[in-house]
Amino acid sequence: MIAVLGLIVGVVAGLVVRPVVPTLVEPYLPIAVVAALDAVFGGLRAMLDGIFDDKVFVVSFLSNVVVAALIVFLGDKLGVGAQLSTGVVVVLGIRIFSNAAAIRRHVFRA
Amino acid sequence: MSDEDDKKSPGQLPPEEPPAGEGSGDAREQSGRPLPPEGDSGAEPGPEQRPAREASSPAEGAEKARKSEGDGEGREAGSDASPAGQDAHETPEERKGGDSEAAPAPDAQAPRTGRQRLAQAVWPPRVTRAQLIVALLLFVLGLGLAIQVRSTSENSSLRGARQEDLVRILDELDDRTKRLEDEKQNLEGQRTELENSSDQAEEARKQTRQKARQLGVLAGTVGAQGPGIELTVTDPGKAVEADMLLDAVQELRAAGAEAIEINNVRVVASTYFSDSPGGVRVDGRKISEPYRFQVIGKPQDLEPALNIPGGVVQTLRKEQADVSVKASKKIVVDALRSAKRPDYARSSSP
Repeated sequence: MIAVLGLIVGVVAGLVVRPVVPTLVEPYLPIAVVAALDAVFGGLRAMLDGIFDDKVFVVSFLSNVVVAALIVFLGDKLGVGAQLSTGVVVVLGIRIFSNAAAIRRHVFRA
Repeated sequence: MSDEDDKKSPGQLPPEEPPAGEGSGDAREQSGRPLPPEGDSGAEPGPEQRPAREASSPAEGAEKARKSEGDGEGREAGSDASPAGQDAHETPEERKGGDSEAAPAPDAQAPRTGRQRLAQAVWPPRVTRAQLIVALLLFVLGLGLAIQVRSTSENSSLRGARQEDLVRILDELDDRTKRLEDEKQNLEGQRTELENSSDQAEEARKQTRQKARQLGVLAGTVGAQGPGIELTVTDPGKAVEADMLLDAVQELRAAGAEAIEINNVRVVASTYFSDSPGGVRVDGRKISEPYRFQVIGKPQDLEPALNIPGGVVQTLRKEQADVSVKASKKIVVDALRSAKRPDYARSSSP
């Protein structure tokens, strides 16, 4: 419950406060958000499976974000940033889908 | 079922959903311990997850804590991670036997299906370390999500765009600007041209109208007014003949008369004079004395031209006619002739 509240508060804060993101980080924000989403879905699934561990969640969340941003950063340096970020999004999307499928089985039993 | 589960529980985890017939294969794969979920977060199996869950459950409240602990102890290590099926079948209680307190509702305290876990996690809200940390991370996620959505919807797509993309966009914009500039120049040229040509057309129309008026004055198809003289020939003896009037007209023309009217008959290039009993015919129309000439022209030229010695006035006076010449600032020549369309002659100018 508190976690859900945290998400809602975050969205509201982002909409209301309108923080300025440093230009350097801006290109990596979308990919980082997708990576974080992946981590959240994984965490939700783990919770439904009953094997949730906050430490693992924190580590996976942060590492997901960092690695995703790193890949895009590297891609930018190599000149294939657009393609690489597409790839990252595809991979993360697939994972999100499979996690969502598992969550669905738990919640709807179907 | 319960027996089967019991046998399995120490070593391998049974399927999480007991009644799942066709879905059980999937469920086993995904919910079982050996296979972590694809999102690796929190999915690590093994011993370390058990303490975490156990740690969270005591915090739920005193009563709950007692029960769940008892439950956990009673079932021992292997049964801890076992899924809901066991609880539903009350296997642990049977095994525990002496656990009187936890006996009535063990599954309510330690739900084993995903739904129950979800419900328990959502309500009632509990302040635990895990919840707080997850809340913090989700706050960060929500923040990033909101920022990204807002910046995407607000500042077009340029704000998070990459450098090469920006360069490409800039190039495209430059090209487009150049194209539009060219087009603008073209259109402006066209506009100037059209304006000029329409000006020219207007000018031409004006000149044409003016010319038409001038020609109309000469051809007698329009009225005219201006300075000039009025020549009146009173001829009681009927001595004035057509040739005298013609002389007068020619004299006036030679002096620069521009429009002439005799007794309401307009005098033009084709005008002819002929004698007729008791008067003169001008263009076939009979006129009689007094002959009144309305002449537009420069009075200072016309008057002396008539009055020169041996000129019109003297000749007429010799014939006993009474001639008076009066200069006027405003002479109106309003007798008109209809323009006659030539039968054979055609304009040779384009």
